Amino acid sequence: MRLSSAVLAMAAILAPVVPSRILADDLLPADSAVETVIDHYVDALLSADKVEPAAQVDDLNLLRRLMLDLAGRIPTTVEAKQFRDDQSQTKRQALVDQLLASPDFAFHHRNELDRELLPDNPGDGDFRKYLLWAAQQNRPWNQMFEDMVVGDESDEYQKAGMQFLRTRVGSVDDLTNDTSILFFGVNVSCAQCHDHPLADDWKQDHYFGMQSFFSRTYLTKSKTLAEKFYGDVKFKTTKGVEKQARFMFLNGSVSDEPDRALSDDERKKLDEEVKTLQKDDNAKPRKPDFSPRSELVKLALNEEGASFFARNIANRVWNRLFGQGIVHPPDQLHSGNPASHPQLLKWLARDLRTHDYDLKRLIRGTTLSRAYSRSSRWESDSETPAAYYFALAQPRILTPRQYSISLFIASQNPPHWDQWASKPPEDWAKEREKLEQRTDGWFRMFEPPTANYQVPVDEALLFSNSSQIQDDLLRDSADRLLGHLKGIDDPSEAIDAAFWAIVSRPPTDVEKQSIREYLKSRTEDRSAAMKQVLWALISGPEVRFNY
Amino acid sequence: MKRPGSIFCGSSDHGLSRRAFLGTGAAATAGTFAADMTQLDAFKNEVVAGELKKQGKKVILLWLAGGASQFETWDPKPGRPTGGPFRAIQTASTGVQISELLPKMSQHMDKTAIIRSLNTRVGDHGGGAALMETGRKKDPGILYPDLGAVVARELGRADSQVPDYVSMYTSTEGRRKGTSGFLGSRYAPMFLAEKPIPENMRRLDTISDVDHQDRAELRSLLSKQFVQGRKSDTLGSHTSAYQRVRGLMASEQLFNIENEPDAVRARYGPRQFAQQCLVARRLVEAGVPFVKVARAWWDSHGQNFETHRELCADLDHAMSTLIDDLDERGLLKDTLIITLAEFGRTPTINASLGRDHFANAWSCSLTGTGIRGGVAYGKTDPDGHNVAEGEVGAGQLFATILEALGVDPEKEIFVGSRPIPLADFGCHAVKDVLI
Repeated sequence: MRLSSAVLAMAAILAPVVPSRILADDLLPADSAVETVIDHYVDALLSADKVEPAAQVDDLNLLRRLMLDLAGRIPTTVEAKQFRDDQSQTKRQALVDQLLASPDFAFHHRNELDRELLPDNPGDGDFRKYLLWAAQQNRPWNQMFEDMVVGDESDEYQKAGMQFLRTRVGSVDDLTNDTSILFFGVNVSCAQCHDHPLADDWKQDHYFGMQSFFSRTYLTKSKTLAEKFYGDVKFKTTKGVEKQARFMFLNGSVSDEPDRALSDDERKKLDEEVKTLQKDDNAKPRKPDFSPRSELVKLALNEEGASFFARNIANRVWNRLFGQGIVHPPDQLHSGNPASHPQLLKWLARDLRTHDYDLKRLIRGTTLSRAYSRSSRWESDSETPAAYYFALAQPRILTPRQYSISLFIASQNPPHWDQWASKPPEDWAKEREKLEQRTDGWFRMFEPPTANYQVPVDEALLFSNSSQIQDDLLRDSADRLLGHLKGIDDPSEAIDAAFWAIVSRPPTDVEKQSIREYLKSRTEDRSAAMKQVLWALISGPEVRFNY
Repeated sequence: MKRPGSIFCGSSDHGLSRRAFLGTGAAATAGTFAADMTQLDAFKNEVVAGELKKQGKKVILLWLAGGASQFETWDPKPGRPTGGPFRAIQTASTGVQISELLPKMSQHMDKTAIIRSLNTRVGDHGGGAALMETGRKKDPGILYPDLGAVVARELGRADSQVPDYVSMYTSTEGRRKGTSGFLGSRYAPMFLAEKPIPENMRRLDTISDVDHQDRAELRSLLSKQFVQGRKSDTLGSHTSAYQRVRGLMASEQLFNIENEPDAVRARYGPRQFAQQCLVARRLVEAGVPFVKVARAWWDSHGQNFETHRELCADLDHAMSTLIDDLDERGLLKDTLIITLAEFGRTPTINASLGRDHFANAWSCSLTGTGIRGGVAYGKTDPDGHNVAEGEVGAGQLFATILEALGVDPEKEIFVGSRPIPLADFGCHAVKDVLI
């Protein structure tokens, strides 16, 4: 039963939906700018299929998108107006560079990696500490991989990074699958019971090969990750033959453990050593001569192996910024599920490898491309093109942390944010840290986005009837937006200020008209009236989505 | 700007004569009373009640959290070394005997089928509950939805003004919220743990009803312009979540059993589990397709027999009252009542007179719509150590439940581009318990 279920589940995977076409043989030169390469390949597919892309977004829309993607928050009123008024031709590039260098980026990048790498343990303080440390110094992705899989437990930060394994150490299947999915874009779980029926790439040998890198990993009494000194993974093939797994990476390359015939006595002694470590708080594990996890790192990052590692992270960053991977879904990087732009993915992967796996460089280039800055509105009469063309932007729902922090920024008294413009970035870093701490109390109220995400009605009920929204975001006090608006006599000006604070743009004439009419019908209590206007704006889809 | 009253048509005639009969069914009907709670009376209207009966099937899942003993419920073994002190009694269905701890249920076995041959293997609380909630083993990379979410999706309505999955779990032992998995949080349960009424269902005192309605209308006006030209299911779900708010707020009253006549309340009695069963009846009557009521804590590692004497009395009374009530209202033929847990309990009685976790040979019950009453399917061996006949796994049980509801267990849901059948791959219904 178990076997056929997994086989069928995987057999069902992916009749290819994306036509894979390589439109030119050679990759663009390695020294081209990332954004140029992206637009080259995306445009090539558009014109090959005669798809006219959506227009580029306007400045304020672009600002909001960039802020959410690079800083994890909406712009403040003063930031939005500054960007609008900036006449420079290179203001987009300047903004991207400024944001990537700002404290905000590290916090946001940390939050994104956190929800991707440890989705089942949101708010793990140690892991978040590690990720922030790594993000602040733009630690190369290959080094981060090493930190998380074979990190040095005596190093404060790397030990925290090992939470990636520590939280999963109870299940060797989780260790195997999650590492394969998150670092290599490969879901090999299908091959646990059977060679993959459709994607020729995965055999049982691969699954159990990957598993053997983790099968000796255990947790000592002092919560240190250690590896046992011997032990093999055996599995039964579908023909019932028992087979011993080799230390095999996904590309088929193998690490062979040096032959050593252990006598029964030697085994007994090694077992005793492990037992002591599992019982004794003070025992310190020693590293075995042959460390399977270290072997995995070697095979995964060497010349032949690294294509999985590099393509995976390029594709995941792309998916983060577009809401659709070049290979989609991102855990299905195999020959049965082709990339929409294979050359582009290859180029980006190569670029990462030749630039020290610098994710900032990739993010910078991507956010400077025209493909990134297309409108999410489809104004043409023709049918909306499939997502994999990247002909228009997909409205992306904010993550719980993006949403929480954006709600805080929108609901504050706008002049509160003005002061940071003239202060050193360290001061802003402290303020941002405070905002992060506030989100710790809020982000669990919102469901984390998943594939095919649908907003639960609980969220609408929360906004409609909870005291948190009413008494915190909409509080009638001097430090909140509502308090600020009360001090503005001219209703038209007050409406403008509300729009800038909440949706980072001025109202349209129609919007302003509707709200003025509403306010006219509700003159007996202006504060209450304004409060309802703020609620109508702050609970709206424009705040909830990155569009 | 329109003033209040314009969003929801105030006239009941419209709702009844136009919407309900255009085939929009229960949701439209529910939508009608959402505007005005006096419309709840609409359910006493024969025509509307008839509409409801024709379509929506519903489920009430009585979750015996911690794992009830099959020996003290559906599969007694009196006189055997494993049987414990209680007798077996004859039931309304000739030939089927159940534990004497369920005397009232013994009179309802003509409407109930028992499956005595569950072998689900997983014997820890978390793993067992996950298996019996979703009907399959965990697969990496795919988060499976639980039964409630599947039923909510298959039998609920997109624009429903009542909740489509309500889960009540008052105790703290083994409390699990349930998961809508890859179906997304749209189908997540409305979860009641601490309070008898779901969170955020009631308007705050600090805002007037007029303001509450007005701002929703203003919001919808502003949102419409934003949504224009933007095609996205997620964006659409944001809109529909807010559209459901007023209706759901109106359904708050469904959770208040004070609205029931004294005679009905007296029948269910003062105990919490029975009262929650009454809420469940009110919910399914109003069109909620899935209600789970959890009763804890059956995990009788010690004093198994005392524990079951108490808990079975509670179950026996609540379940039999629920069956009668639904039956009298003509709702039982559309409602499926299930008793299920994460596993059963060991045949061996331990030194503390307890029974431990046991998933290799245990029982569950199915009552109501689609079910052949009076059947005891499958057999365990004389001491209840193993399944002797008709082994049923979690997947087959789920296929059986879905088929009883008229839902095709092999129907596929696409997760990205992967088709996943509603019941686990290759699992077929146990036809013998179905009509």
